[in-house]
Amino acid sequence: MRVHFQNFRKELKKNKALFLMALPAVLIVLVFSYLPMSGLVLAFKEYRYNKGVFGSDWNGLANFRFLFSSGVGWKITQNTIFYNLINLVTSQGLAIIIAVIISEIKVIPYKKITQSVIFFPYFISWVIVGTFVYNIFNYETGLLNTIITGLGGEKINVYSIPWVWPIIICIFNSWKWCGYNSVVYIAAVTGVDAECYEAAEIDGANIFQRIRYITLPGIRATVITMLLLNVGRILRGDFEMFYQIVGNNGQLFDATDVIDTYVFRSLTTSANLGMTAAATFYQSVLCFIIIMTVNGIVKKIDKDYALF
Amino acid sequence: MATVSMKKERMKGTGIRKGRAAITFNILGYSFVGLTALICLLPFIFMISGSFSSEKEILLHGYSLLPREFTLEAYSTVFRFPEKIIRAYGVSVFITAVGTGIGLFILTMAAYVMSRQDFKYRNVLSFFFYFTTLFNGGMVSTYIFYIQYLHLKDSILSLILPGMLSVFNMLIMRSFITAVPSALIESAKIDGAPEFTIFIKIIMPLLKSGLATIGLFMALHYWNDWYNAMLYLNSEEKYPLQYMLYDLLNQAQSLARIAAQSGVPMDNLPTNTLKLAMAVVATGPIVLLYPFVQKYFVKGIAVGSVKG
Amino acid sequence: MKKKLLSIALAVAMVMSALTGCGNTADQKAKPKEEKEETTAESEESEPGAEGENAETEEAAATTAAELDLSKQVEIVMYYLGTEPAGQQVIWDQLNEILLDRLNCTLKVNFISFADYPNKYPLLFSSGEEFDIAYTASFLNYSSLALKGAFMELDELWPMYAPKNYALASETAKKQAKIGGVTYCIPSLNRTYSAYGPIYRKDLVEPYGFTKEIENFEDVEEYLDIIKENYPEMQPLSIYSMGSDVDDCFMYYNGMYPIKGSQNDFFWIDPTEENPQIITYYEYEKTPEFLEMMNRWNEKGFYPKSALSDTDSKKFNNGIAPMLMHNVDNYVSSAVNNPEWDVHYANFATDISNLSFTQDAMVISNTSKNPERALALWDLLTTDEEVFDLFYYGIEGTSYELNEKDEITMIDTDNYSTSSMWAVRNSEYLKNSVGTPDHYGELKDEWNAYIKEDQGAQKYRSFVVDTTAVETEYSACLNTHQQYWWPLELGYTDSEEGLKEYQSMMEAAGIEKVREELQRQLDEYVAGLQ
Repeated sequence: MRVHFQNFRKELKKNKALFLMALPAVLIVLVFSYLPMSGLVLAFKEYRYNKGVFGSDWNGLANFRFLFSSGVGWKITQNTIFYNLINLVTSQGLAIIIAVIISEIKVIPYKKITQSVIFFPYFISWVIVGTFVYNIFNYETGLLNTIITGLGGEKINVYSIPWVWPIIICIFNSWKWCGYNSVVYIAAVTGVDAECYEAAEIDGANIFQRIRYITLPGIRATVITMLLLNVGRILRGDFEMFYQIVGNNGQLFDATDVIDTYVFRSLTTSANLGMTAAATFYQSVLCFIIIMTVNGIVKKIDKDYALF
Repeated sequence: MATVSMKKERMKGTGIRKGRAAITFNILGYSFVGLTALICLLPFIFMISGSFSSEKEILLHGYSLLPREFTLEAYSTVFRFPEKIIRAYGVSVFITAVGTGIGLFILTMAAYVMSRQDFKYRNVLSFFFYFTTLFNGGMVSTYIFYIQYLHLKDSILSLILPGMLSVFNMLIMRSFITAVPSALIESAKIDGAPEFTIFIKIIMPLLKSGLATIGLFMALHYWNDWYNAMLYLNSEEKYPLQYMLYDLLNQAQSLARIAAQSGVPMDNLPTNTLKLAMAVVATGPIVLLYPFVQKYFVKGIAVGSVKG
Repeated sequence: MKKKLLSIALAVAMVMSALTGCGNTADQKAKPKEEKEETTAESEESEPGAEGENAETEEAAATTAAELDLSKQVEIVMYYLGTEPAGQQVIWDQLNEILLDRLNCTLKVNFISFADYPNKYPLLFSSGEEFDIAYTASFLNYSSLALKGAFMELDELWPMYAPKNYALASETAKKQAKIGGVTYCIPSLNRTYSAYGPIYRKDLVEPYGFTKEIENFEDVEEYLDIIKENYPEMQPLSIYSMGSDVDDCFMYYNGMYPIKGSQNDFFWIDPTEENPQIITYYEYEKTPEFLEMMNRWNEKGFYPKSALSDTDSKKFNNGIAPMLMHNVDNYVSSAVNNPEWDVHYANFATDISNLSFTQDAMVISNTSKNPERALALWDLLTTDEEVFDLFYYGIEGTSYELNEKDEITMIDTDNYSTSSMWAVRNSEYLKNSVGTPDHYGELKDEWNAYIKEDQGAQKYRSFVVDTTAVETEYSACLNTHQQYWWPLELGYTDSEEGLKEYQSMMEAAGIEKVREELQRQLDEYVAGLQ
C-alpha cells in the first residue's frame, strides 16, 4: 500500500500538469456518474417510496426473478446480443466503406453533398421512422405490396413473418447510423500521415492497394476503439428503435423482444422500480464480464489497442 | 497546398493499370455512395413534403415525394405561439453552444492525458471513465441525487452538466490523439515547453478533424436531448426545442395507452402533419451545422502541414 | 459555493453509508416516521370534532372544518397529467383570490405531460419533493404505488378535513379506496358506467338499407360487411396497436365481469354465480366461438392485418373507420364533434355497473407539509359548484358559454380547455356539451334504474385486487397475454392451435399461482359480504 502511494506521489510530482488537466473531467464524472451509482443497491431492495432508496428493506435476488420466471430472460438476452452483433457488423461495416469511398472522391461538391445527405437519417426520430416502416410494410396499402401487386404478384403480410424482422431492423439501424458513424472514420482517414500516400504514389500503387495497405491500417486504432465501445454495450437494446418499429405486435416478440422492451412493458403494468434496477444491473454485469474478456484478449494481442 | 498540387502532377504520370483501377473504383464508389445518399434523402423529403400536405391526404394515400394538396396549416399550428418556438430555439442554441464549448475542451484534455504513453495511470484513468458506461445508478437514484443534492430541479444546468462528458466521445478522441506522432510531443518537451502549452499549441491544431467530429457529436447530443428536460424541468420557458418535439410526437401514443386502460376519450391529438412540421422546425438549423463542420475534414492537413 | 461543497460532502456520506449498508440509513427511516407522528398528533388534537363524524351531517362537518388552523398562509402544490393551456393564468388568478379568502392558501399546479407520465410519475414520489396533491388512476398503477408507501394514509384525515366530500362519496367508493383496509386516495364523485359497445356512423349505411339499431354481434358483422363492400377506402372497424376491444365487448355481452374491473384483463367471473370461480379465456366455453368470429372478420378484412403495429388511434375521429368499440363517453364526444355523421351507440354490456370511483382519484403525497389544508381545498373544489366550475371549466364568457338548456360549449380552445384533473369531477356539477344526444340521458336513467348495490356485477365493484404477493407472476402473465392473446383475438393466428399455445405460455408464466391468490382474495370478499 505504501509503495503504491509513494509511486503515486512520484508520478504526481513528475506529471503534475497532466493530473491537473484530467482533473475537471474526473470531477464531473465523479459527481454526475459515480455518486448516483450508490443507487445500484436498489436492485437488491424491496423499494418503498416512504423509506427511500437506502431505507428500503433488502430482498436478496427477488427483483431478478421476474426476468427469469417463465424463461423469458434467456430468450431476450439472446435476442439482445444477436441484434447488437449483427447491427455492429453491418452498421460499422457500412460506415467504414462509406468513409473510405468518400475520402477518395475527388469531385468536391459531390463529396460534400453526399457526405451531408448520408447524415440526414440521424435526425429523423424513431417515432417518425416507425410510421414510415408501417407505411412501407402494412398489408393493405403498404408501398411494398403496392409494388408487388403492380408487378402482378401476391400480397405478402410481412407482419406475420417473424424471421424477416431482424433483417428489416438491421437495415433501418444501418441506415440511421451510417452517416453518424462514418464521420468518425472520415476524420480518422484525414489523420493518416500524408507522406505514406505520397510514398505509395511513387511506388505506383493503384487505388485499391492504397486503401488496402495505407488507409485501412491507418484507421485501425479507431476501428478497434469503435468495436470495443460497441461490444461494451452489447446487452443494451435501443429501446426506441424496437418499440417504434415493432410496436405492440406480439406475433413478432419472439424475434424482436430485447431486454429493454420487455422491461418497459413490465414497468407500465407494475411500477416496480426495483425490477428495472435489477434488469439494468443484470445488463451491466454481463456487459462488464464481456468487455473485460474482450479487452483482455485485445490487450494480449496488442497493448496499444486496448480500451484500458 | 503545395503537396496537393504535387500529388496531382504525379497522378497524371501513372500507368494504365492504375488508371483502370481508378476508373473501376470511381464507377463503383460514386454510384454506391450516390445510391446510399439517395436512400438517406428520401425519407427526409417525405417528411418535408408530408409537413406541407393536408392531413386527410396523408391518412388516405400515405406519404409522397411532393406535397398533396399543399397547405401551410401544420406550420401555422406550430407557430401559433411564435414566441414559444423562438424561446425554445434560444434555449437549444444556448445549451448546445455552452455545453459543447466547455465540454469539448475538458474532454479533449482528459483524452490527451489518457493517450500519453509516459503517463503511468493512463489505463487506470481510462477504466475510471469507462466504468461509468457499464454501471450507472439508474433513473431513480440519479434523479434523487441530482434534485436533492445538486439542486438541479428546474435548472437550465440540468440540461448542460449531466451530458457534458460522454465517455464514448472521450475514447474516440483518444484514438484520434493516438494517431499524432509522439515524437512531436517529445521534441516540444525537450524544447522546454510546459505541458499545457504543448496541448494548446501543438495538439489542438493537429486535431482539427477530431475536434470537429467530437464537437459535432456533442452539439448534436445537446441539440437532440429531450430526456433531461423531461425529467428535470417544470417551467415551460426553459423547454428546449427537442423536448417540445418529443412531447408532441409521443403524446398520441401515451394517450392511446391511457385510453386503452381507462375510459378517457381522446380528442385533440396532434395530427401527423403537425408532427412532421414540428420535426422539420426542430431539426432545421442543426442539419446545416454538418456542412459547416465538413471543411475541417481535409485530408492530409494534419501532420504534413506541421512538418512541412 | 459553500453550500454546494456541503451537499457534495453530504452525498459522499450518503454513498458511504450505502456501501456499509447501515449507519445513516436509520436517519432515512426515521424521517417518514416523524412525519407520521406529526400527523397523528394533529389529528388527535382535533379529536372533539371527529366525534361528530358519525352523524355525518353538514353541520357536524362544518364544525370540523372550522377547527382547521388557517392562521398561516400556505401554497398547495398540485400535480396532474396534461399540458397547461396558454391562457390558464387568468383562471388561476381568479381561483387563488377565492382560495385566499376562504382557506388562506393559494394553489400552484404543475403539469406532467401525457408523453412523460410513464417515467415521471413514479419518480415524483421517490424524489422526496414536497408537494401536496396528485392525480392518480389505475393506469398510473395506483394500487401498486399505494402499497409501496407513496401516498399518505387518509382514513382519519378525509372525514375530518374534507367532510362534505366524504359525505357525498358512496359506500362503494369508500370501499374501493381501501387497499388492505387502509384508505390511500379520495375517489372522484363522478358516477361512470361500464357500458361498452359499438359506436358507429349511421349516415354511411342508411343508403344501403341498413336502418335498424345494432343489437348484437350479427348486426355488427352485417354493418361491417356493408361498409367493406361499399367503402373500399375505409377500414370498417377501428383497431390499432393497443389491441382490440372486441374481446372485452364479447365478454360483457355474455354477462361476464373482469375481476380487475377494467379492460384488457384475462381473469373473468360470472357474477350470477353464488361463489364465482375465476376463469380465463381458454376455459371459457364461448371462446372458440369468439375466435372463429374474429378469424372470419380478419379474413373479410374488417381491420388491417398488421393493426398491432399501427399507431393511429384516431381512425374513427378522422373518418377512416366508421365503427369503434368503446365506452359511452367516447360515444358522446364523437357525437358532439361530428353531428353530420349521425353517430349511434349500442351498449353490449348486459350486466351494467358503475366503474370504479378510483378510476380517477386524488392522493396526498407522503411529503405533504399541509395535508389538512390540501384536503380542505379538495373539499372546496369538489363540493362547491362555483369553485368547481371555475377550476374545471374556467370563466364563463372567456373559456366557455352556456346555452338555455345549461349545456356547455368551450370557446377559445387555443387558450383554454377543460381541466385534465379528472378526479375533481362531480356528476352533480358536470354539464353536458351542446349537441349531446338525448339518447345519452335515456341510457343513464335506464342504467341507474338497473344498478343495485348487492346484485350482479355491481356487487363485485368493491373488490380490489392486490397482486403484491404474486407480482412477478402477474407481470409475466400480463406480458404473455399481450404477446399471445392480442394476435389471437384478432384472428391473426390459427384459432385452435393459437389458443393451445396461449394456454401453455400462460401456464408457464405462472397463471395458476396468480389465480390461486386472487381466488382466495375473492372468496374472502364474498364471505365478507354476507
